[in-house]
Amino acid sequence: MYQFLYPMEQTNSEFLRGTLKTIVLNLLANRERMYGYEITQAVKERTQGQLLLTFGALYPILHKLEQEGLLMTESVEVDGRTRKYYALTPSGTETAQQKVSEFERFVEMMRSLLQSPTLALTK
Amino acid sequence: METLNPQQVARLHDHLIRTCPNAALIDELLDHLACEVEHYMWIGLPFESAMDKALLEVNAGVVRELRQTYQRELGLRGSRLEKASKDDIVFEFRNKAYGAYALRQAYPQNLRNATIMTLSLCMLLMAVMHMVGHGTFSYFSSWGAVWLTGLAGITFVGFNWHLHQEGTQTLNLH
Repeated sequence: MYQFLYPMEQTNSEFLRGTLKTIVLNLLANRERMYGYEITQAVKERTQGQLLLTFGALYPILHKLEQEGLLMTESVEVDGRTRKYYALTPSGTETAQQKVSEFERFVEMMRSLLQSPTLALTK
Repeated sequence: METLNPQQVARLHDHLIRTCPNAALIDELLDHLACEVEHYMWIGLPFESAMDKALLEVNAGVVRELRQTYQRELGLRGSRLEKASKDDIVFEFRNKAYGAYALRQAYPQNLRNATIMTLSLCMLLMAVMHMVGHGTFSYFSSWGAVWLTGLAGITFVGFNWHLHQEGTQTLNLH
């Protein structure tokens, strides 16, 4: 799936794989309910089209989260086709908060890790 | 925003049936692709090229990747695996709606019906030949019993087949 992407996008997708759950949970925490295509569009919009979530990456994550009891689904008939909406369960909301704060701590750590050599050089 | 008409949605569905690894996923992917096609049509592409563009994403590589992910992440486990038949395991990530799954499921029943049918027809034929040879026939002789057993067998198979047909028809309606 990734071999057709440009190098930059390839690195992105490498980072993305570990953080996909956090992204999906966080997006759903801000909205009442979303369907698959809406999630890919939201990711695209928020990153100004720099991050593209393929359905091949998204749906397994959604179904995994549903199996783990973090998401609940609701199927609605729209324009003659079935649309499946995803929403957070109470334990999903908890996990979303936890994942986001964990990831923020991780980003902080990465920043200090990446910055310290330059700081040492300037001293 | 343009919406696709039923024929256009049906064409997408047709394509997905042929490539999609997982029947449970088809409805969801259909909606996803339809949204994408609508987006491309909204920015000005005709339906055909919009569909081609959206389907570029659904190539064999992506489908294979999707299947592998599902096998790794969401495989049959625990009690569900204990209850699963060989067909369930073989068809776990394949398209059950395509037909082969139903054929395999119905195979033991079809085999039983065919065997009963063959035996019954042989019994009827033997009884008829005996009647023609001897020129007499009575329901209360042993050949009469053979005739009646054959008749009962045919009726049983016919009734069974009818029930099965009705079952599949109600399934198709849903």
